[in-house]
Amino acid sequence: MVHGLCYRLTGGDRALAEDATQEVFIQLWRKIGNYRGDSKFSTWLHSVSSNVCVSYIRKQRGWWQRMFNIEDSAAMQETAEGSTGEVDIEAYVQRLPERARMVFVLHAIEGYRHEEIAEMMDMAVGSSKAQFHRAKQLMQEWMGYE
Amino acid sequence: MNKQNFERDLQRRITELQKDRQPQRDLWPGIEYALNRQQEEVPLRSGKPFLGLAAAVAVIGFVGWLSFSPSPVGQGDPSLVAALSQQHQQQKQALLASFADQPALTQNWQEQLDELDGAAEAIKQALEEDPNNLALLKMLQQVYQQQIDLIEKVHAPKWQQI
Repeated sequence: MVHGLCYRLTGGDRALAEDATQEVFIQLWRKIGNYRGDSKFSTWLHSVSSNVCVSYIRKQRGWWQRMFNIEDSAAMQETAEGSTGEVDIEAYVQRLPERARMVFVLHAIEGYRHEEIAEMMDMAVGSSKAQFHRAKQLMQEWMGYE
Repeated sequence: MNKQNFERDLQRRITELQKDRQPQRDLWPGIEYALNRQQEEVPLRSGKPFLGLAAAVAVIGFVGWLSFSPSPVGQGDPSLVAALSQQHQQQKQALLASFADQPALTQNWQEQLDELDGAAEAIKQALEEDPNNLALLKMLQQVYQQQIDLIEKVHAPKWQQI
């Protein structure tokens, strides 16, 4: 669960995802005393993992990479079709610009509300919704529904 | 129409998405190194390194199981937790009684024991919410075992410490 989340949030950057996964486990150990039992343990675990993963990734990315993530990501590359003739959605997610990708992963895949995402990513709720809309528009175009 | 088809297609692909993903390299050495390094920064006289490493192993095992396994299945039964706890309490009391006349090697072992009690309570609370979680049961067993190991270690005769 944790590594899958980090892998998607980093856009398929294997090394960064593995570093982020390690950081999540280290922080989970430090924060384990904060669990108060007012939610399911797995829910608490997921929430801490997401927060730590997002913070770690944002710290590692320099502003230069964030500014030019579209050129930096696989956006310029064709997404290969799988054996079924359908492109894996993972490939589309990896192509998304960083903020749009993180919001899409957290909302559409991990199920967080925009209010929670806004707090995690230190952005306005409206920005989270806008990034999500942008992600869907791009994916709609790539998936050939335009 | 196109938009509806897209939404349906997108939702289907998200539902079919394999959420679990394994890292390509073993991440545990790095995690263990970071946790051990954190424990080494605590002054030895507090006795915390022993507790920290033992509890860290328990948490790593637990979190690792949760992350790298499919949904937990278990033999959920609240009376199992109660029976486990009762058995442990009896074992712990018997062990403490057997060492009653023997001085402990460190001064703060009771504090460490209390911290492990706190960890056990947190796990038992989690089990109330999620009684079928086998990982939590295993972790509870590990924490109980750590208490037994701690009592035995701090009361071991000096010649066994060499």
